[in-house]
Amino acid sequence: MGITRGVMVTVLFGIVLFVMIPIYVPRPSFIPGFAPPPDMWPRVVSILGMVLGLLLLGLSLSKTTEAIADPDAASEIRGDTPLGTLLVRFGFAVLAFAVFVVAVELLGFLLACILLLGAVLVLTGYWRHKWISLSVAVALPLLLYLFFSSALNTRFPAGTLLRALGL
Amino acid sequence: MKRILNLAAVSLLVTCTAHAQSYPSEAVTLVVPYGPGGASDLAGRALAESAREFLGEPITVSNQSGAGGMSGARAVSESEPDGYTLLLARVGMALSPAVNANSSVDWDEYTFLGSLEATPMILAVAEDSPYESVEELLEGVESNPGAMAYAASGATAIDGFTVQTLLSDAGMDPLSAATLVPFRGGGALATALLGGHVDFLAIAAGSLMPHIESGDMRPLMVYAPERMDSLPDVPTAEELGYELAGQVVGWSALYGPPNLPEEVVTTWEDVLEEVAESDSWLSRAEDRGSISTIGSVDMTSYAQEQYEFYRNLAEEFGYLE
Amino acid sequence: MLNDLLIAFQAVATIENFLIMAAGIWGGVIIGAIPGMTGTMAVTLALPFTFYMQPIPSILLLVALYKGSTYGGSVSAILIKTPGTASAACTTLDGYPLARQGKAGKALNMALYSSCTGDFISNISLIFIAAPLALLALRIGPPEYFMLMVFALTMVSGVSGRSLILGLVSACLGLLLATVGEDMYGSFRFDLTMDMRGGLAVAPVLIGLFAIPELLKIVVFRNTDTQKAMQLGDNRVTREEFRRSLKSMLKGSMIGVIMGAIPGIGPSAAAFSSYGEAQRSSKNGENFGKGEVEGIAASESANNGCCGSTMIPLLALGVPGDVITGVMLGAFMIHGMTPGPMLFETNLHEVYMLFIGMLFSSVLLFGAGKATMRFFSHISRIPPGLMAPIVLILCLFGIFSISNSMYDVIVLLAMGVFGFFMFLLAIPAAPFLIAFILGPMLEENLRRALAISRGDPSILISSPITWLFASLAVFAIVITIRQQLKKAKS
Repeated sequence: MGITRGVMVTVLFGIVLFVMIPIYVPRPSFIPGFAPPPDMWPRVVSILGMVLGLLLLGLSLSKTTEAIADPDAASEIRGDTPLGTLLVRFGFAVLAFAVFVVAVELLGFLLACILLLGAVLVLTGYWRHKWISLSVAVALPLLLYLFFSSALNTRFPAGTLLRALGL
Repeated sequence: MKRILNLAAVSLLVTCTAHAQSYPSEAVTLVVPYGPGGASDLAGRALAESAREFLGEPITVSNQSGAGGMSGARAVSESEPDGYTLLLARVGMALSPAVNANSSVDWDEYTFLGSLEATPMILAVAEDSPYESVEELLEGVESNPGAMAYAASGATAIDGFTVQTLLSDAGMDPLSAATLVPFRGGGALATALLGGHVDFLAIAAGSLMPHIESGDMRPLMVYAPERMDSLPDVPTAEELGYELAGQVVGWSALYGPPNLPEEVVTTWEDVLEEVAESDSWLSRAEDRGSISTIGSVDMTSYAQEQYEFYRNLAEEFGYLE
Repeated sequence: MLNDLLIAFQAVATIENFLIMAAGIWGGVIIGAIPGMTGTMAVTLALPFTFYMQPIPSILLLVALYKGSTYGGSVSAILIKTPGTASAACTTLDGYPLARQGKAGKALNMALYSSCTGDFISNISLIFIAAPLALLALRIGPPEYFMLMVFALTMVSGVSGRSLILGLVSACLGLLLATVGEDMYGSFRFDLTMDMRGGLAVAPVLIGLFAIPELLKIVVFRNTDTQKAMQLGDNRVTREEFRRSLKSMLKGSMIGVIMGAIPGIGPSAAAFSSYGEAQRSSKNGENFGKGEVEGIAASESANNGCCGSTMIPLLALGVPGDVITGVMLGAFMIHGMTPGPMLFETNLHEVYMLFIGMLFSSVLLFGAGKATMRFFSHISRIPPGLMAPIVLILCLFGIFSISNSMYDVIVLLAMGVFGFFMFLLAIPAAPFLIAFILGPMLEENLRRALAISRGDPSILISSPITWLFASLAVFAIVITIRQQLKKAKS
């Protein structure tokens, strides 16, 4: 755990420092030479981040110093569920989020929210209480939709699919 | 089957046209591409308030700030051209594409519904500054190259161009003769001058008037087509013969997404005509220190002129690679 | 002056004004308590209504909404670990553990007492020491801001949990993400898409980082206890708890007053600093983060301590310190009053009416808080398996309506997944948030200072104020390192 984490942190900041900053942080010509350019700060921060990552890595290599890096045994939060199951559950949750973003385009904000709420209730395991879940999943987004569009005049995206069907 | 489809298509067409003919049939959203409380927000809210009575539907102001106003501008430019999403455009909508090589929205990716107002800008120094006039200030800048600092929203923002054009008119290098210190927002800019952290600035009148009235700041010059009513003794840049600086002015206009239906355009032409006469609009404009320009400018050609003006400046100053 | 205040008192003490303020406070508490709806939203929404009201009631309404939402943010921070406003993020650290222990009522009460205390002290300072504070605020230039931010950032150590190194990693991530968007000179950084040119807004990042990982934890680990409701038991703040928190409460209020008076700093930084200071100086410092009422007292007194004093730069200088006071500036101008040095000469009577009204609002805040608390505390009885999905939907609606864009919603969800990864790697979330909020102020003021001095770094230690903040920061760092070493040894 400690070693993986050290590597991940170092690599993450390394990518920002060596790949992202040269491409995405331009130095425009309208900044005078003596003023610190826009890439100064991101560079300083990502160098610092890399140093911290290497420090984590180094400290994790030795048993005696590991306590400074992380006094917690990180595995204790995981419990005894097999890793595969956890990954599948996590994958489903992320999938639900991604499907939601696409569904807003197609079905509109309201329907997408109802679907997402239903899906998430299944994922948290609350779906056992079917009737409560179902009524919350439908009623809550509907009420919020009515409130926001009437009181705040928010214009929620209507789905392209629904519009194509003439609804 | 075919008949049903036909029927559906016809009814769709009917509902669409019926919808268009009855513009506006619901609330119109006016996007203000800057944060609440600022000069553009107040202009947007004043327009929303004055126009609702002539439009017959409420107008909701929505603040979508970010990316120097271009986030909100892009949201409108890419929205459905149904007349229900409009933009309170500022000079930034013409300036930003002129000075950025890859701007998110070009200056003409809109339907120009009309100009609204001109907002003067003021060149000011702190009350304890030794400079009493623009010439003295410019001499001071010239005799200590780079030592004098001025506050602006950014190098390519309108309140940066106010100073840079002036320096250029005086034959100095706009980039290095004085040092630009960027601040975010009119309040922070004014504080920087009040606190003595910068030597001068030239920003929107609204943020400076309270301090000029209280005597904490001294106005040296006005960037406006004519002298301000509240500052009759302060000359304009044009009067003083500054060629480029005389052309810099802040303005607001009403834009929509490209290809707005003819009906929406004419509706708004009529509405703006009535707004121009309304007391609420005129008095609010006066409170903000701006001059109503509704109906006096052809917006399409004005936006193009503005774009080309700043494009030339950016090329001249070497901001575009 | 006292005579003037008395006259103003008579003018402001009408049933109508009280009703307006009570409605504002109450509405603010409720809006602040709903995750995804912020005080800025409340104030912006109310602005059009104030066009048709008298000037003083309309400003009082906006102030009441601001105060109410600042307290309301702590309600959701305590009950569902989702700070309703950014300034309540520190309240989460001790409030949520207390709620899990069945002491939600105690935490809510402590938050209310300290909010009202901070609020009251702030109003008093607004009335009596506005002028010197405004002068102080003017003296704070870029180098001073920078040093003050460095000092505030030393707070990262306090909320790092058990490992300072992981806390610093988290802070670096926050600093980096804060650079996305428009650079201060006008170019763009990390604009992978056009939307990213607008940067990452605080609300979706904050809520994504706190609320969504809670949901993902329930989804992924499905701990049995998440299906059960929290018990409501211990509701009262004991006399002993109040006494031991009093020092932190008063200190927090003072920190709030000073930080609120400096434009641009705001309640979040005040709450972080106060929390760090309380943790450092308290005898119970070890318990901070595990459910210590004193931690709530420190952070809540400081964030509400800003509410009154944030009006100082607005009224005395005409300079709005944040978005909310920016909206108030607009409201003043619509009613033909221009905040600034002249306001105290031309509209002294109105200014005093405003002061008196604000004093009343502290009392009303107490009433509204007490009245809503009983209702809110039932929320903690909803089992997390149902509550977390509900919170998700509330956040989606709230975040969408702030800017009408799906981009912010995507940022919210992406930050949620990111925050869950941070949780898996045991990287604490609070330092990320502090760095994310303070990062732009830190960077921009450093670059401003260096621009003014033309690259000479000695400007950063050129004035007595910079010396003061720099030595405070060094002091805080030395203490932290000593504590860490002591911990590592044992």
